[in-house]
Amino acid sequence: MSDTGENYTTFNSRTLVEIVGDVTDEALKATKIKQLLSVLAGRFFNWAGRKSLFTLHLGIKCCAIEMAASATPRFDGDRFGVLFRSSPRQSDVLLVNGPISKKFADPIVRLWEQMPEPKYCIAMGECAISGGPYYQSYNILEGVDTVIPVDVYIPGCPPRPEALIDGFGKLREKIIRIGGAPSTGRDGDKPVIVGED
Amino acid sequence: MGTTVTKEQNSAAVKAIVDNLSERFSDAGITTEAVAHAAGKKFEFVRITCAPEQWRAVAKHLKNEIGVNHCAMVTGTHYPSGGDDRGWEVAYHMHRWPIQDVEAHTMIVHKGENLEGDDIPMEFEIFIPLAAGDSPSVPSVQDLWVGADWNEKETWDLVGIDFEGHDNMHRVLNPHDSPVGFHPLQRQHKIRYHDFNEMYDDPQGFDRKPVDEGRVK
Amino acid sequence: MAEMWITMGPQHPMTHGLWTLRVKVDGETVTDTEAELGYIHRGVEKICESRDFTQITPYCDRLCYVSAMTWAHSYVMAAEDLLGAEVPERAEYIRLMAAEVQRLASHLMWLGAFGPDIGNLTLMTWCLRDREMFLDLLQELGGSRMHYNYPRVGGVKRDIPIGWANRMKAKVKLFENRINEYEMLLDESTIWLVRLQGVGYATAEDQLNAGVTGPNIRAAGVNADARWTNPYSVYDQVDWEPAVEKPTSVKGADCYDRYRVRMEEMRQSCRMLLDAIEKIPGGANTHYQPGDEMLITKAPTRAPEGATGFSTYECTRGVSNFYLQGGGDGRGKNPYRVSIRSPMFITIPYVAKTMIGYKVADIPAIMGSYDPCIGETDR
Repeated sequence: MSDTGENYTTFNSRTLVEIVGDVTDEALKATKIKQLLSVLAGRFFNWAGRKSLFTLHLGIKCCAIEMAASATPRFDGDRFGVLFRSSPRQSDVLLVNGPISKKFADPIVRLWEQMPEPKYCIAMGECAISGGPYYQSYNILEGVDTVIPVDVYIPGCPPRPEALIDGFGKLREKIIRIGGAPSTGRDGDKPVIVGED
Repeated sequence: MGTTVTKEQNSAAVKAIVDNLSERFSDAGITTEAVAHAAGKKFEFVRITCAPEQWRAVAKHLKNEIGVNHCAMVTGTHYPSGGDDRGWEVAYHMHRWPIQDVEAHTMIVHKGENLEGDDIPMEFEIFIPLAAGDSPSVPSVQDLWVGADWNEKETWDLVGIDFEGHDNMHRVLNPHDSPVGFHPLQRQHKIRYHDFNEMYDDPQGFDRKPVDEGRVK
Repeated sequence: MAEMWITMGPQHPMTHGLWTLRVKVDGETVTDTEAELGYIHRGVEKICESRDFTQITPYCDRLCYVSAMTWAHSYVMAAEDLLGAEVPERAEYIRLMAAEVQRLASHLMWLGAFGPDIGNLTLMTWCLRDREMFLDLLQELGGSRMHYNYPRVGGVKRDIPIGWANRMKAKVKLFENRINEYEMLLDESTIWLVRLQGVGYATAEDQLNAGVTGPNIRAAGVNADARWTNPYSVYDQVDWEPAVEKPTSVKGADCYDRYRVRMEEMRQSCRMLLDAIEKIPGGANTHYQPGDEMLITKAPTRAPEGATGFSTYECTRGVSNFYLQGGGDGRGKNPYRVSIRSPMFITIPYVAKTMIGYKVADIPAIMGSYDPCIGETDR
């Protein structure tokens, strides 16, 4: 059971955890406690996730200034749990706040892929929704949803900080519905609760 | 009142510069004229038109004798219907600022009305018409004004005008993997949906008549 | 130790916008840099060739989004030069006041972003809170918090509302005390001084040759300001002085000088606003209807082929130029070519080279002290 050259007990801790885990899992399933725990845990994680949306610190263009303004004392997004993180590995929400140029299409897809599940994307402002005033440009994609699946669209040029906070509210409502479903292939009609087997 | 440069100073400086340049360059076919802005304070500036071969000589004279110390803008334009001798044009906009021979660790508080001679600020506009064709080219002034460096890179990137002698030319605004020869500000490239542009004038169709049924614009 | 290239950006909390700075480091010391721009290149110059002269103003607002009013003013000055339009004096005063309020808001945004770079997070909350005061003033003029579309060719869109003058005076007087509060917080702070002094030297002549203008040159000891060297609007009738700072060393201005110049510029803007509101023709509390001849003159809408116009304007970050050529589509209704010079496009590569020799931790200080705004850089 152990690797060659290693000298501890025949039972290493990983195998122990696996065996104990399998036994416990079977026991819980038989008594239907597992289903109850999954539903409760799912609801708890859903509540925790939507009340603390860590947004990536990405400022593309003018809407980024309104994003910054929404974190300031007058509008205060932090009371809703919206905190800005510098690394995509630590954030839940990618807030796209500007037009995506051909040069930036690749980096933004990489940022999106670096974010761990569950992750959500908000397109803020006209440029991210459809290219905005630059829809005729040779260098701007017609909306970020050509490269990334978007959950919430916030119109405006730029949307007021109140509109951005409302957009986060709409995202929270959506999270209640879809839970932690993976970001590819989300369908909005059927409510999904995390943990339902 | 705020300090300012007066119209008399401006006229005097323009006259001095135009005289200097005409005396030096007019027999080479380089035109120098004093042009007034059409709005605002209607100050005058110096407009020079020269051929690409003569540009380096004019540039050195401007820098060393006239004291032009700031290259503000390099603009390239494509004229597909401009005739054989004006298929492209490069416009340099330069300034003379009163920042000459600044001693280290000092503070200079100019009073605009007291400036005289070569200290009076001046705007310069230099037009270099180029022959029509596929490879317009102008000598670079990157070594005279460092400010021309990225301006020339941008002009090549967007318009396609080559700058001879320019060190390290590369794409600055378009992606690095743009197709070779793709210079978007040339007139044959159209913006997306360019046919639909006239819909801007009447986006809700108030002026449409039954005969316009089925027409896009 | 071997040297290696580190990529800072495009997504980076320090870079104040979307660009990449590649630095080559030998341990902690920077030995070479490369700036890469163009991540939000929108092709505005190409789009503007298919737009009317009035339709271009919103695009100019969005060039440097932190200081939209000044860029729109710069563009309409070039358009008026091209079309040959006069501007009534009341409109010039209103434009001056709008530009100076915008300058205050822009410098506050700069300080609000620069403070956190150095480590002072309080500044972000304080500065953005105070910036809201001025955004409210501009919202009364232009309708939106950020993109106003307010200056028009030949004047301004609408008059200052009733009571704007009193609100502006009250806010400016309050703000003059707030500047003292900021200085009390920062000028005695050891961390602020140690991180900013002795870092990022640049002399005035070097900067000018490289194309850098604006507060960066005034920090290096020369009071050159396009508002008096290439005078426009009514700056010669309003009481003000360009803010200038003596550089702290023979090597030129450091980051601390550039910070002090911008604080002083905010004071001068306050002074200009309080003076202009006293001198405005027609009175500060009269309200003329939009389209009145005190506010806007009828300007020609078409520019013939061969006509050109250009403007030199002191934007918050440097000198911006617009160069317009007439004779485009629609028999001259659109311009044939719009060329925009952005001060930051020239400054950022220059600043990338001044970072050589300093430590990696000095990069945010140097970069932030030049006040980058990538919107105007990438056009």
